Amino acid sequence: MGERMSIGREQVLHVAKLAELAVREGELDRLVDQMNRIVDYVAQLDQVPADRMAAPFLPGPASAALRKDVPNPVPLARPPAEFAPEFVDGFFLVPRHGAMEEL
Amino acid sequence: VSARAVAKETGARLAAAEPLNATLHWSQALLDAEAARVDATPAPGPLAAMPIAVKDNIATVEQPTTCASRILEGYVSPFTATAVRRLRAAGALIAAKTNMDEFAMGSSTEHSAFGRVKNPIDPDRVPGGSSGGSAALVAADVVPAALGSETGGSVRQPASFCGVVGMKPSYGRVSRYGLVAFGSSLDCISVFGRTVEDAGRVLSVMSGHDPLDATTLDRPPMPVPTPLPDLRGLRVGLPREYYPADLHAGVAAALQRTRAAILELGGQICEVSLPHSPYAVPTYYIVAPAEAAANLARYDGVRYGPRKVGPGSDIRALYQATRGEGFGAEVRRRILVGTYVLSAGYYEAYYRKAQQVRALIAEDFRQVFASGVDLLLTPTTPTPAFRAGEKTEDPVSMYLADIFVCAISLAGLPAVSLPVGRSDGLPVGAQLIAPYFEDERLLAAAAAIEGAVQPGAEVR
Repeated sequence: MGERMSIGREQVLHVAKLAELAVREGELDRLVDQMNRIVDYVAQLDQVPADRMAAPFLPGPASAALRKDVPNPVPLARPPAEFAPEFVDGFFLVPRHGAMEEL
Repeated sequence: VSARAVAKETGARLAAAEPLNATLHWSQALLDAEAARVDATPAPGPLAAMPIAVKDNIATVEQPTTCASRILEGYVSPFTATAVRRLRAAGALIAAKTNMDEFAMGSSTEHSAFGRVKNPIDPDRVPGGSSGGSAALVAADVVPAALGSETGGSVRQPASFCGVVGMKPSYGRVSRYGLVAFGSSLDCISVFGRTVEDAGRVLSVMSGHDPLDATTLDRPPMPVPTPLPDLRGLRVGLPREYYPADLHAGVAAALQRTRAAILELGGQICEVSLPHSPYAVPTYYIVAPAEAAANLARYDGVRYGPRKVGPGSDIRALYQATRGEGFGAEVRRRILVGTYVLSAGYYEAYYRKAQQVRALIAEDFRQVFASGVDLLLTPTTPTPAFRAGEKTEDPVSMYLADIFVCAISLAGLPAVSLPVGRSDGLPVGAQLIAPYFEDERLLAAAAAIEGAVQPGAEVR
């Protein structure tokens, strides 16, 4: 993993922003410590020789068998109108939320 | 016996087991409705009136599906998981939804938003995880079988800690439709049973291709395994990386007894090597959090569950406040680690490297099985069940509880944990691993071994 540096507060806050997670100030130091322990631990993959690298592996079927491209009814126990506040003409209606309209 | 009578008895047992905190949702009324449906069916099928508990990350329409998370509190799925639909069609009664580590992230069922589950053998100890509620209900004799899910050992490890059978099928054997996604390249609906036979019957019904999950293989369902009368002609490999010098003495003794039972049944034992298995846990703790960070992006306070409005009125404040408060500590930690290893500048060093080591781990298994070894035998866990609170402050020490189960998940192979003895009263599990899609043969051999060991007997 080459040049690794330990993760600092700024980096944890940056990753939290990417992940859309609010981090409380009081828990930040503990998170920094735990993330460093986890990342230090997984860094032992450095020891696996690079010249023995294989292509990535995924289990399961070699290629996904696709269904015929025909619309099927979605097997729902209740119609969409029953689990959303409002459902009109095939669309869920949600409350307008602040700056969402400006994005 | 009528399903109605089974429902009544199961309700009484669920009520008596409440102190374990193993269930999140159940009611006598729902059990009775399940029974009425089965009793009204002329030919109820191979699981007629069998009560089965279901982990709370598997979708059912009658009860909530919360993944033991505040972020999904009260969420009721509008569809039923394929596995559950198939169990019902075979006559099973869905008995309860079970407690678990939040979003299946954990090895002790202490990371539930609704409180920890107690191990029925010793309430001061953990039942293992993340499917600890399901394991505890089978161990406490509340139900003969229960569904769990595995991403990196979450059924085999609690099966070992609770002294029951835990079977993880081959990836692609059972549909993931309706299983809440955690690590999509690893997730498998899996099964606990009091016996190998119970687990095999349930797996047989659940298995088979599902057009709603393109990662299921287009092959017929697994037949119900017929126990082998003996193990003559079978070669069982002991991978040396799974028998460290400092293995817990009780676990080592129980495995020694299992080897003796295999020899007595006519099986052969040989030593083998899986040289990349020691890298399984660090590989897993890159791959699984990366997939989880992507899968859990959908819980944003708009589409599911409760919503928290953060400071300011923009949509990102809504996301961040909802997710920051809705997810527990372990889930947040894994989302952060997953996001970190996928972020610009780190993707190649961590995620790509882990994917490549994953291929080497899988290749080790392929080569050993190609060399004429039929099954592998390892301990399921390095120690018996640990005490509650012992590992909650140190995530890495908690992750190491999965040291013998992770590699199999990364390789997509089938494996079963069998109770093979007790050490100071605590159950010890042995893990049998088979080649890809040899689930039936694995269970047939496991049933022979099950009949030759005394799971309730002390080993030293």
